[in-house]
Amino acid sequence: MKFQKMTRIAAALTFAGFVGNALAGEIENQSTSSGKPMSKSLVSVTQQLLNASTNDKNHWLHPNGNYAQTRHAPATQINAGNVGKLKPAFVFQTAVMESMETAPLVVNGVMFLTTSYNHVYAIDAVTGEEFWHYKHKMGPVSTYCCGPNNKGVAAYGDLLFMGTLDAKLVALDAKTGKMVWETEIADPEKGYSETMAPTVIDGKVLIGTNGGEYGIRGFVKAFDAKTGNLLWTFNTIPEKGHEGVWAEKDATGRNMLRNIAKEKELLAKNGSDFYQTLGGGVWMTPAVDTDTRTVYFVVGNPSPDLYGDIRPGDNLYTDSIVAVDLDTGAYKSHFQYIAHDVWDLDAVSPPIITTAKGKDGKDTKVVIHGGKTGHVYVHDAKTLELIRFSEAMIPQENMWVLPTPEGARMLPGANGGVEWNPLAVNSKLRLAYAANLHQPMTYHVEETPYPGGDKLWLGGAFKVVPGEKQWGRLAAVNIDTGKIAWKADTDQPLMGGVLSTAGGVVFTGEGNGMFNAYDAKNGKKLWTFNCGAGVNAPPVSYTVGGKQYIAVAAGGNTQLDFKRGNSVFVFALP
Amino acid sequence: MLKFALSAALCIVAASNAFAGAEEGKAKATACVACHGPDGNSPSADFPSLAGQTSRYIYLQLKDFKEGRRKNEIMSALTTNLSKQDMRDLGDWFAAQKQKSTGFKADGAKVARGQKVAADALCTMCHLGGFSGQNEVPRVGGQHQAYIYRQLMAFKNKERTNDAGNMQSVMRSITEEDVEALSHYIANVN
Ligand code: HEC
Ligand code: HEC
Repeated sequence: MKFQKMTRIAAALTFAGFVGNALAGEIENQSTSSGKPMSKSLVSVTQQLLNASTNDKNHWLHPNGNYAQTRHAPATQINAGNVGKLKPAFVFQTAVMESMETAPLVVNGVMFLTTSYNHVYAIDAVTGEEFWHYKHKMGPVSTYCCGPNNKGVAAYGDLLFMGTLDAKLVALDAKTGKMVWETEIADPEKGYSETMAPTVIDGKVLIGTNGGEYGIRGFVKAFDAKTGNLLWTFNTIPEKGHEGVWAEKDATGRNMLRNIAKEKELLAKNGSDFYQTLGGGVWMTPAVDTDTRTVYFVVGNPSPDLYGDIRPGDNLYTDSIVAVDLDTGAYKSHFQYIAHDVWDLDAVSPPIITTAKGKDGKDTKVVIHGGKTGHVYVHDAKTLELIRFSEAMIPQENMWVLPTPEGARMLPGANGGVEWNPLAVNSKLRLAYAANLHQPMTYHVEETPYPGGDKLWLGGAFKVVPGEKQWGRLAAVNIDTGKIAWKADTDQPLMGGVLSTAGGVVFTGEGNGMFNAYDAKNGKKLWTFNCGAGVNAPPVSYTVGGKQYIAVAAGGNTQLDFKRGNSVFVFALP
Repeated sequence: MLKFALSAALCIVAASNAFAGAEEGKAKATACVACHGPDGNSPSADFPSLAGQTSRYIYLQLKDFKEGRRKNEIMSALTTNLSKQDMRDLGDWFAAQKQKSTGFKADGAKVARGQKVAADALCTMCHLGGFSGQNEVPRVGGQHQAYIYRQLMAFKNKERTNDAGNMQSVMRSITEEDVEALSHYIANVN
């Protein structure tokens, strides 16, 4: 078993080596050192440090700040009063000019960032000097729908972990960038790929998968951080029972216009074996409740995206938030937002654990999710029961008209609302900040059988409506009431994510290169800086030697075709 | 003309076995150059250029010709005896060749119109900016205009159906005139 895995990897590496040499002659799966010795300040990332992240001003140890994924930095040096004076401290340029979605990690003054095509850099977080550069040796086959993206590494002990486009998990020595182990997560020839940042807890590396556009069967897997051995798998598509309860209404009570009688007939006639290609990718980082040892994640769209007849039923657990046991991967609870989705309005933006008023008006531990639908959903953390959903943050229209061959218009478009963009939560203000987009679309259906995993399988097409303006909106939602506290509109659809700070500032970027700071209380724009390429990545905050820094990648975006770049910008007060 | 080219090419296929070994893909590609050009830049819009095409797309198309999902008399005959490794090597070799200009003179008004149609249909969401392609999604920027036109019409008319429905769905509601405009726009992209 182990041996087999090894030889398969070895074979893949030799073959890729041949191609790689023919094309480039660069050294891959190896780190190149800049010659500058790794900073002595680099520390081992202990479980204790990871657990304490919420109140830790110095490090940024999780892609979304902490296990609860609040993306709220406790530092106050940069605040609403002085953010107007923010200046670049340095710019780090990578060797890869392609979309950047990385959330850099910072461990005691050392920053780890990633680029498209799975490069990793370790740099000095104060000066921008490079320590090492790792380039993943891509196997002969990688299959991904929406750009060669990577969203970042996870850190644990002296190792870093990265999922790759060819569906591998690699562990790197944080000091040297040398590969320590590599394991295959799933078969890339069947449409599996990785762009998400994993999370690590108690020696387990948790990671999901992309592939909802290729007819995969989604999962979250836990790997042993020391060895790379698989510990457990939670399949997001159960073999039995994925037809669910034949829900007629969505989470907000609107009728989804399903023809349930026809679906039942199709299920009886054709059987339910399609669970193996029903999609349900998990492509954003899960949240972990360390008290109850519960992992929360959201599950993506069913495959194919737009053609539903081939997959009758609710298609559980697609378009759902799911809770599983951290130690075993056993199912705990779920809540489905859209049953039998035919619009690709899946659940993507990473869930956040925080406190909000329950149905009884008392403070309750909740999990929230910002939907492509444009609603922020607030769930009871124990049961995932929906407590409330927010006002729509962007225009909605014609919900839920069914896709037609010629195209049916419905708002929001398939990118949302809130795309993968992580939200931030200021629990003192009880506000969740969500980066939204408005992109009017028509939905087209095309009957298509499963093409085998090696080809994109949408079952139709999405088109934007000619002549209609597209734009973005940063919305602050009161999670106790669901009311929108403020909104700040932008010229371009927002894709990237939000950072909130205890200094009362909210940061997010735009596709035109602008990186903006807003007043957390009222949405007033306080500062802006032109990074020269699309700022479509989640910002982070850290402190070194008593000085607070804000870092964000400016690499543009494939999906919305925003201007590409190759840089991480780091800002501080003069 | 096509018949002649076909038999010539088949001779080359036979001959190429004798030379196999030096640089896998290159040797195997000798069977292809009569039509697709010595470096994968085809001199005629009857044959698509393969230079700079993604390796994965070439591999999958060869597989589709071989297994009958994409229909073309010449190409299905040529792929009958190709192994998976052959097809991968060919893909790698053509992908590594540099794409050259076809010298096509585009009509300015059609280019402008094509650009708008492309934006609304979100072509670059899959084909990427500049229609440069990725993995199984082909590079089409700078391809022969007449070839692009033929393929888009073939998707529209459901004569080419090996696309898992994606291109058929995209093209269904695009008019013939807009297909012409699209082909000018894309052929003009470098
Ligand atoms: C006798 C002429 C001829 C020869 C020789 C030939 N081809 Fe082709 N090839 C064609 C034609 C014509 C088409 C377009 C088919 C269509 O219109 O669908 C084509 C299409 C293709 C395509 C699809 C390209 C695309 O953009 O979709 C690939 C890949 C291809 N050929 C590879 C090869 C390879 C590899 C060889 C050598 C083993 C080869 N061809 C030899 C005529 C030829
Ligand atoms: C949903 C993704 C997607 C969208 C959107 C899309 N394409 Fe494609 N396109 C593909 C894929 C995948 C293929 C290859 C199909 C196959 O495997 O045969 C393809 C094939 C093609 C080809 C044939 C290329 C060749 O060498 O034979 C052309 C031309 C093309 N697309 C142009 C367009 C244009 C123009 C648009 C917008 C009007 C567009 N595509 C929109 C995914 C897409």
